[in-house]
Amino acid sequence: MDRATTSVVPAQAVVRHRATHAEPERTGSMDSRVRGGPPMRNDGAGVDGARHANLTAWLFLAPALALLAVFSFWPVAFGSFLAFTDYSLIRETHWVGLDNFRYIFDNEMFVTGLKNSLVFLLMVPFVQIGALGLAVLVNNQLPGIRYFRAAFYVPVVTTVSVVGIMWGFMFHEQGALNYVLTTMRLVGAPVGWLSNDSLALFAIMFVTLWRGLGWYMVMYLAALQAVPADMQEAAILDGANRWQRFWRITVPMLRPTIMVCSILSVLAALKAYQEVDVLTQGGPMNSTFTGLYYAYDQGLKHLKLPRALAASFVMSIFCIGIALLCLRYIKPKHR
Amino acid sequence: MTAAVLAMSAALAAPPEKIEFWTFSMKPKFTPYFETLVKNYEAGNPEVKVEWVDFPWDVIQTKLVTRIVAGTPPALVNLNVPWADEFARDGLLAPVDALLGDARPRYLPSTLEDLRFGGKTYGFPMYSNVAVIAYNTQIFKAAGIPHAPRDLDEQLLFARRIAARTGKAGLCPALSKIDGLMMQQGLPVIRDGKAVFNSPAHIALIAKLAETYKAGGLLKDALFAEDNFPAAIDAYKGGRLGMLLAPPTAVKRIESDARDIYAITDVAPAPLGPTGIADGGWLIHFAVPKNVDAKLLPAVGKFARYLTNDANQLAFAKQASVYPAMAQAANDPFFTTVPPGAGAAEKAVSAGAVSMPHSHTLYVAGITDYDELRRYLVKAVEAGVTGKQDVKQALDQAVAIWNKKLSAQRSR
Repeated sequence: MDRATTSVVPAQAVVRHRATHAEPERTGSMDSRVRGGPPMRNDGAGVDGARHANLTAWLFLAPALALLAVFSFWPVAFGSFLAFTDYSLIRETHWVGLDNFRYIFDNEMFVTGLKNSLVFLLMVPFVQIGALGLAVLVNNQLPGIRYFRAAFYVPVVTTVSVVGIMWGFMFHEQGALNYVLTTMRLVGAPVGWLSNDSLALFAIMFVTLWRGLGWYMVMYLAALQAVPADMQEAAILDGANRWQRFWRITVPMLRPTIMVCSILSVLAALKAYQEVDVLTQGGPMNSTFTGLYYAYDQGLKHLKLPRALAASFVMSIFCIGIALLCLRYIKPKHR
Repeated sequence: MTAAVLAMSAALAAPPEKIEFWTFSMKPKFTPYFETLVKNYEAGNPEVKVEWVDFPWDVIQTKLVTRIVAGTPPALVNLNVPWADEFARDGLLAPVDALLGDARPRYLPSTLEDLRFGGKTYGFPMYSNVAVIAYNTQIFKAAGIPHAPRDLDEQLLFARRIAARTGKAGLCPALSKIDGLMMQQGLPVIRDGKAVFNSPAHIALIAKLAETYKAGGLLKDALFAEDNFPAAIDAYKGGRLGMLLAPPTAVKRIESDARDIYAITDVAPAPLGPTGIADGGWLIHFAVPKNVDAKLLPAVGKFARYLTNDANQLAFAKQASVYPAMAQAANDPFFTTVPPGAGAAEKAVSAGAVSMPHSHTLYVAGITDYDELRRYLVKAVEAGVTGKQDVKQALDQAVAIWNKKLSAQRSR
């Protein structure tokens, strides 16, 4: 067999590819595109090279994109479409316009859930400040510090069912928390952490905070360890104290991480539902519904899929809107 | 020649009919029971091949719907009464009147009544249960209570007395199922398509519960939770609760988990309401889904009658500590007599048997989105019982929401 015909790369492409390396001045058009400037020259070899590079990039991306398309983009698009129908496995599906949205907005549980999802956002600063504080603490090279790092991370890897059992016991009327409070005479009678409609949501938020701290702590810890030591040393030589170094060097260097963690934390707060399911199932007096728990309750417990999808659609709009706000207002200055 | 004829006849012989039946939450405890049933049936009916499939209870409905829609439903499926009502309303079940045949009179009438929707019967009753009242004799003695309660008023009175004299809770009713309690007390939830649970009698019932709650007579943990049984039995086992309304299996659990409390536990039949209906009744049956091959139905009926016959129900009920839905099996001495020197667990079985003929699954049938409507009712009851809102005002508000939603359903 002729050797030339067995090659998987066309000879012409090989030649052009080499040309882009051998003669960088001829690829000025490509470089300027990368930089965002106007093309300086538009010769055929440069354009073909760019196309080839693009094709290669798309080929590398293709497997991941195919999986995303099948398991993310298509379900999201189809689910969004079904939110406007009366979809049921057992009946013919009809377009019903905004009926499902009218239904959920006329439903106390969803409206309460939406409000509660926004109340959950109050937790974000506490999670971020707490996680950053923990990260600073465990960033010290002290004996046994690895144990503390692991201990703070344990809630992240603990399954939500175990979390539910454990915190259910902690918050029980006869549980550990009430035992401590009543023994120390801080309260006269056991507190109904999960049975009082004024407290239950905050108890759940606390559990969510507890579960999230370790995760963000690890992210901040990684960022802290990437802060160049020479900057700190230079600041020490300049006479900066610990507090000044933290505010003037560490925090600005952490801004990109703070942005990412804040957005993730905001989205996690808006999407909270597991803790509700294992601790209160929306009670007492429907006071702990969240937007997503309503969607879960309707879709998976009662098989009312269009309503669940409408609720999810609304929550997605909220998530996207708030994420965009975060991106707009928490911009990293140091990259 | 003979060999050729034999081979030909074997080739021409019809393949065995396949019957697939589904249960929920039976594995692994009852695997030997069902495998033996299947083996014995196939031995006596070589023309039939039986396949048993068990699912967790929380997925069986979804699995069933998808299989019915796909046109490959199982021949028989375990359901409870509210599920069957909903499936029958959606046209996903086939009536079994023609398949019950001469076995019909052998089932307890109350069980068949529960499975009648729109004048048709939708299942073969398999097993059922009912609540008994287990009480802590030491707490009763300390509170000066001489006997088990005989009606709801007495239960609440005793609960208040226990709280006053011992500082412990007396009772933990499942108030998330308040609709069932109302119906047991002869108070309808819906009449002529309208919510009516704000009548003076309904208000009086909730006010009595509120009075008991205020006095500390009701266990506050999970009082309004969807499932408050775990909290109730934990409190009873810990000696913090005077009375436990639960099926006889709960007394078995007390025996294995808290022997000290079991030793001071006595049992009585749970009080019947003014309607004569026992508390805490439920029924599991085998239903026939829609789209089961019509040619297979006679064989399905025969197998369902076998699955639920006296001998098999009795054997299962003994193993599972539940009650048979067949009259003869339900009257077996195992359930009706208390052996000398029996403990609370054996007494519980006998106490439950007394209530069994009065057992019904209490729920409101035929309402779309019932679970969601019930949340408004439970919220109103919670507000009233815990004193956060005036009882009448809370119930009026819930009734208004119900009627608005019921009216919207009718106009759709």
